[in-house]
Amino acid sequence: MTVKLVTDSLSDITSDMAGALGITVVPLYVRFGEEVYRDRVEMTTEEFYRRLVSEDTLPSTTQPTPNDFAEVYKNLAKETDEILVIVVSSKLSGTYQSALQAKDLIKEKCRIEIIDSLSVAMSMGLIVIAAAKAVQAGANLDDVADLARRAVPRSHLIAYFDTLKYLAKGGRIGKAQSLLGSVLSVKPILTVKDGEMSPLTRVRSVNAGLDYLYNVVAGFSNIEGLAVEHATTPDDADKLVERLSTLFPKERIYRSIISPVVGTYAGPDALALSILEAENK
Amino acid sequence: MSQINSVAGQELREMFSAATSWLEKSSEEIDALNVFPVPDGDTGTNMLLTMRSTMEEAYRAPDHSASGVAQAMAKGALMGARGNSGVILSQIYRGLAQGLEGKESFTAADLANALQQSAIVAYKALSNPVEGTMLTVMKDTAAAAQAQVAGGNDDIISVLEATVNAAGDSVANTPRLLKVLKDAGVVDAGGQGLYTILEGVLRYLKGETELMRLRKPQIIVSDLPHTASLPQTVGAEEIPYGYCTEFMLKGEKLEPDDIRKRLEKKGESLIVVGDDSTVRIHIHTMEPGDIVHFATKLGTMHQVSIRNMDEQHQDFLEMQKERMPTADAAVIAVAAGDGLTDVFGSLGAATVVPGGQTMNPSTKDLLQAVESTFSDNVIILPNNKNIVLTAEQVPSLTKKTVKVVPTKTIPQGVVALLSFDYEADFNTNVQIMEKALSSVRSIEVTRAVRSTKVNGLKIKRKQPIGLLDGDLVAVGDSNIDVINQVLAKIDLDKAEIVTIYYGAEAESAEAEQISAIISEQHPQLQIEVIRGGQPHYSYIISIE
Repeated sequence: MTVKLVTDSLSDITSDMAGALGITVVPLYVRFGEEVYRDRVEMTTEEFYRRLVSEDTLPSTTQPTPNDFAEVYKNLAKETDEILVIVVSSKLSGTYQSALQAKDLIKEKCRIEIIDSLSVAMSMGLIVIAAAKAVQAGANLDDVADLARRAVPRSHLIAYFDTLKYLAKGGRIGKAQSLLGSVLSVKPILTVKDGEMSPLTRVRSVNAGLDYLYNVVAGFSNIEGLAVEHATTPDDADKLVERLSTLFPKERIYRSIISPVVGTYAGPDALALSILEAENK
Repeated sequence: MSQINSVAGQELREMFSAATSWLEKSSEEIDALNVFPVPDGDTGTNMLLTMRSTMEEAYRAPDHSASGVAQAMAKGALMGARGNSGVILSQIYRGLAQGLEGKESFTAADLANALQQSAIVAYKALSNPVEGTMLTVMKDTAAAAQAQVAGGNDDIISVLEATVNAAGDSVANTPRLLKVLKDAGVVDAGGQGLYTILEGVLRYLKGETELMRLRKPQIIVSDLPHTASLPQTVGAEEIPYGYCTEFMLKGEKLEPDDIRKRLEKKGESLIVVGDDSTVRIHIHTMEPGDIVHFATKLGTMHQVSIRNMDEQHQDFLEMQKERMPTADAAVIAVAAGDGLTDVFGSLGAATVVPGGQTMNPSTKDLLQAVESTFSDNVIILPNNKNIVLTAEQVPSLTKKTVKVVPTKTIPQGVVALLSFDYEADFNTNVQIMEKALSSVRSIEVTRAVRSTKVNGLKIKRKQPIGLLDGDLVAVGDSNIDVINQVLAKIDLDKAEIVTIYYGAEAESAEAEQISAIISEQHPQLQIEVIRGGQPHYSYIISIE
């Protein structure tokens, strides 16, 4: 039986990609006051960002419950006895815990492997896509799990933020705290390091930010996967893709949108660049 | 949303019990914030242990009345109080118990009164209450609750909601009140602990127990710019912190006020609380023996704890390293004026050495700054062409690895520091910073010190003159006139950001006027006006 792949909505795998690659996406939750929405399912990203900037109280987010994962496991167990789950960094969300606890909630006989991607957004998504392709090529659970684990340290997220306000208020700022509180208005550039948000540098304009992102990609010699995402500024992301096409085939650059749950912390105008380095053989 | 109009003893106990579990989840992070009164990194743990003792006693309460439970909590807190924050917390519960005395259950108004009483009792416990600590947070919290009730609100949940928000704001504000917090870039640990407890109470009453299981309390982040430390004198002896000495004294006819007075000169952070039979004493002292000796004469000592705070401080420093990014180098900048000092400090300069045009720092000043930074790899930004040479003497005088990025103006220094890459190694950062220099043009406006003729310009003494990247290119009758002339020599179509730092002698109104003029001529530019406070230059303008 073929391995089934599960990820959470923070991988920013679009429903088209998920359908084509046979990936099940478990949504996290966004909460505006008393209203709760399933990430990417019950609220469009456009609607989300409109409310993010216009409402007084900031949204909060919650991981999927163990039961959410258990339901998915149960359904998939009807078709397979091997499931691989790749989730958002355990240092940024409790999703990993839920995925783990859910294993005890099902009676079906099914091997379930859970991998902490130590990342978020498409840099986790690229690992999931690489795993999905291996599954399509006929790999078994051990092989796919091994492949995904090896991809974790090769996957990099570089994010341009318009502001750190949302990250700070959401309590996910980590070591990027050192970029807070500048007297000058600056745009921080962050990465995820050891599963946590970490500072890279700062720029003073979105154009300088695009230059920086372009140069990061130019600094890699061997790239397996590339993805560009926007929150509210698709034109800037498209501009970046256009520039990157001199370095990497344009049709192979994934374009996605930063999910509302991640948007709760990244805020409007953020851009995310994900790079999966090729493995040295 | 559901409303709650009164709470009885059982519920009081449950809500603080939930708050204790909530606090437990972030006690280590609160430890890491602890820099005041002594950076020994134990506030979160101390508050948690105090809460545990508080709750153990709460379950032994003689009855289920709010009053009975609150009395038991106060007793438990006093018996188990640990550290400064724990003792203050015990006084908060004591105030709460006084406020709820004789009540079977309490209303929003009762709660507001009890919180008020908590603030009063907590302040009284210290001989020198310091603002910007959990005392301030307690006071602000109580005031918010009072305001809600005075406004006619009788729903305990929404009163608490406003109260917890006020507590959060108060915590975020602590670095404004207490400089050591601002310097360390943290909020007050005890204040954060108190906020977390109150937040736990609120979440419990709102029925968010499932959510509390899944989530973690948030550490409040201050939006205050970090300050760079001023250079410290090398070799100055560090003052030891001594011993944190605390115990419970049991006896008869004890007089806490009297004991406090007797111990006042024996050390720092003294807290003496309790009644005539039980007194808890907490003090930071060099001579714990004296304190013990004094206490044994008054009664019997219990739960004696004497800890070496210097040891704790070392552990704390290790803990801090985990918190901050592990950059490979420290940057030292030279700048004059409090505004510019803040600009460099807030961008992460480890030290800002005072200096600039006509007030060049000495090689020794720079060397001292290098020696006193935490890193063995140091980058110096001289930010003035006359200081570049001085700075270049430093590398040969120290064992540390020092590189000078030859920034000749403040704008060059700012773009260099901005481009610092936290993940890059030392040499790469030097290269990145050097490369960044070409991305900025610098305009400086000052007044001629004498009448002269330069570059074909006839200049009269005291006339405003303009420099572009260090070259004198304009003279005029007003600052605005000079700036316009210099700007005309630059291709602004390719520029994106103009930053105007106005000096100590310039007016913010004039700076805004200049900003408006540039903006009108070049609407695509993003213009920022910042008070630099620098002497000598009325304006320093950066064009990126």
